[in-house]
Amino acid sequence: MDIKSAEIFMEKLVKAGTEYGFEECEASFVTESSMSIDILKGEVSSYENSATSALSFRGLKNGQMGYCSTNIIDDSSIDYLLRSAMENCEVLNDEDPQFIYCDEDNKDLYFSQITDAYAKNTYKSFSETGLKLEKAILALDDRIDAVDFLTISCSTGPYLIINSKGLHSYRDSDGISIMASARATDSDGSVKSGGHYWIGKDIDDFDLDKFLVKFKENLIGKMGAKSCAPGTYKTVFRSEAFHQFFTVFFGNFFATTMQRGLSLLADKEGEKIASDALTVREIPMYDKALTKIPFDDEGVLTTEKAIIDKGVFATALYDLKSANKAGRASTGNGFRGGSSVSEMPTNLIVEAGEKTFEGLLEEVGEGILLTDLSGLHAGVNPISGDFSLLCEGYLIENGKKGRPVEQITVAGNFYDVIKSVKSVGNDIINVPSGEGEFFTPSVYVGSLAISGDDEE
Amino acid sequence: MFNDSDCLRILEQAMSTTADFAEIFQEVTESKSVSLLNGQVIRASTGFDSGTGIRLLAGTNSVYVYSSDNDIEVLLKLAKEAAAAIKGNDKGKIEALKDLCSTSKTTIEIDPMSVSKKDYVDFLRKSSDYALNYDPLITQAACGIAATTRTARIINSRGVNAEDTTKRIRLSIETIATKDNEKQSGRVAPGTMRGYEFINEYPVIEKTKDCCDTAIRMVNAGYAPSAKMPVILGNGFGGVIFHEACGHALEATSVGIKNSYFTDMLDEQIASPIVSARDNAVIDGEWGSYATDDEGNTSSDLLLIENGILKNYLVDELGGRRMNCKPTGCSRRQNYSYAPTSRMSNTYICNGESDVKDIIANTEYGLYCTQMGGGSVDTSTGDFNFAVNEAFMVRDGKIAEPVRGATLIGKGQEILKNIDMVGNDLKLSAGMCGSVSGGVPVTVGQPTIRVSSILVGGRES
Repeated sequence: MDIKSAEIFMEKLVKAGTEYGFEECEASFVTESSMSIDILKGEVSSYENSATSALSFRGLKNGQMGYCSTNIIDDSSIDYLLRSAMENCEVLNDEDPQFIYCDEDNKDLYFSQITDAYAKNTYKSFSETGLKLEKAILALDDRIDAVDFLTISCSTGPYLIINSKGLHSYRDSDGISIMASARATDSDGSVKSGGHYWIGKDIDDFDLDKFLVKFKENLIGKMGAKSCAPGTYKTVFRSEAFHQFFTVFFGNFFATTMQRGLSLLADKEGEKIASDALTVREIPMYDKALTKIPFDDEGVLTTEKAIIDKGVFATALYDLKSANKAGRASTGNGFRGGSSVSEMPTNLIVEAGEKTFEGLLEEVGEGILLTDLSGLHAGVNPISGDFSLLCEGYLIENGKKGRPVEQITVAGNFYDVIKSVKSVGNDIINVPSGEGEFFTPSVYVGSLAISGDDEE
Repeated sequence: MFNDSDCLRILEQAMSTTADFAEIFQEVTESKSVSLLNGQVIRASTGFDSGTGIRLLAGTNSVYVYSSDNDIEVLLKLAKEAAAAIKGNDKGKIEALKDLCSTSKTTIEIDPMSVSKKDYVDFLRKSSDYALNYDPLITQAACGIAATTRTARIINSRGVNAEDTTKRIRLSIETIATKDNEKQSGRVAPGTMRGYEFINEYPVIEKTKDCCDTAIRMVNAGYAPSAKMPVILGNGFGGVIFHEACGHALEATSVGIKNSYFTDMLDEQIASPIVSARDNAVIDGEWGSYATDDEGNTSSDLLLIENGILKNYLVDELGGRRMNCKPTGCSRRQNYSYAPTSRMSNTYICNGESDVKDIIANTEYGLYCTQMGGGSVDTSTGDFNFAVNEAFMVRDGKIAEPVRGATLIGKGQEILKNIDMVGNDLKLSAGMCGSVSGGVPVTVGQPTIRVSSILVGGRES
């Protein structure tokens, strides 16, 4: 369904919602168009094209917010949406009030960031790029057996929100991603896999040579990897690994998590929780980000802010409900996930330090560089901050990257790690994360326990 | 759902160029859920999702298009785009549509969709109230019920005309114990294709008490050691290791492109001779079951491993083309927005001969994992990792102190060969499995087993 037809339907739905007995109500509509190709063995093995839309309604009755969603968007759905949302209101007994919001000065926002470059995303341009990339990967090294996975995809995602208080705002986004992974066999018969990704807005910005350098490092760099002796190692998280590590615990910075007693950061705003070396900002309209987010899914303007400022916990992320409970304003971090709204970050930036990546390794001298963490959905206790994760990387020997290591685990506690950060590099990368991207350099985090088996 | 003549129009459009096979998958899913946190009903939701996917194959080349708009004109346009994108040699044939075959593995007395959310809430309160009054260390109690009804219609150019309905319901209970800055949880999440009678019969107080006891035990426990040692994996969800480290490597998704360490190993010894395993989608009412797969094939009970010998792979249509063998009725997808591929259903290690007490008595020193968390595996290298939610040290053949924070890591192909005792207490446990065709309900399972050596990653050396 196109935005114009959705808009007409939503206005009708919101009016019907008010007449049905909701004190306030809101409709939001998201539609996604996407296209992707997979390359396997010199041909386009798979092509996908899609158009999906979904409409979500929420209504307030006696302080309770009932939700219902559907993708059948026609007049026959109005009764279903209103009736189901009202039924949901009737069983809820959430003690914390919820809100439908409208800022009189910012109630009719329109922010489009889909560029003309999106038209270049065609089957032809993707297949040419993909086939060239597969060939180039296979030519990188004789030990590479196959490119198991190579996919290029693009999508657009318009979002429209209309409510009974007069809010009527629109934003959209688009993006392209290229992901590839390959498998290589070592002289002793052991198999390694590794890959790389690229994200952008214009397929012409894809730099093949730059991609291949990183790809080679991520696959061929691992050849000969084996476990290492257990012990305590001075540890550097490579940018990608620091992103994985930090974001898995980031829910602890959400006000709702704190208010539910599920975050050890509750009541610690304004206190020192991390090393002076660590500053993390949220910049929703960050100029280097592919996706800029002017307002959240509740219609609240997003704002630039420090979350950790030189080690001090500057602010948690709030949506309308958690902000009200805390007696303050929303930080514009209310985003829809499934059938409700909760806090999510937009673009997060770990502030770069002065040292280069090589400089960090020199500072460490002898230690370990972790490049990839596995099992993040299971090997962490998000509440206590304890983690024990399968990982891989390299030994750091004489201040330089040494031999590759695998089949090791790194264990520790998130809150201890952020306190013990020694240095932050300046080798920033960006990774899609939350509602936007996560920008981070490599980080020397002090010493951590490594389990390994030096007989291997 | 479409009528036969609309389906035929779409198939004709899809097969108008060089596809040798076309398939239409149309789905309607209704969902309903309620969640409680500390006695408050914080979420009650209702959803309706429907859409259509059209898949074209030409040899091993595939095109997939989908839309949440089921309008015939929209789908004809998508079918035309798909036909233009497929790269085959010849125009394929469309066979006459067979009579509709409707199936279901759901065994229902009370339809969960017909039960009011208030009844869901009343049931959940029993768990919530019990947990919050159990012990001062228990500080949070979360629980929820989620029910879905999914009807899928599958029609293809070979005349397949199938419809399958599944009704599933899942209960989740999680309790959290707090001590100083430490928080640990205990949880259960049983799921079924039976009706609401499953909830009515569920021993909710007993299971909530188990969750509270686990959380309290773990919050008081010390850290697990770091070392290679014998590991006893408890029955039920302990089977997640087999699911990840072996099951995924037997799927045509990876075997078909030779990206699995079990490629070309049929009839070879891949596991200890005391290990047999099955993927059985036909168990009535079981969470991971289905009657008809998402390609319209009848589901099956497949012997994967017999006495350590690899007997079968899990094969879907496209994987079968790559491997030159027939599909085994295991093709699944989360919904219409995913092309189907080979997936597991109810996958388990079969019963062995040892009593659990003998397995423990025969272990001088090791780790006994009674509750596993999740994990993951790289099927090209075999590297796996699993979190352990509840574990005990075993010393001199006896269960000793509880330990927390353990992770098990290793290579899937090695662990299977190192299973040296298999118990006789097989149990299945519900979970969700994520892979290229999305998240699908599965059960994992096993009797209690012992692995002679696994690297335990803990914090104490």
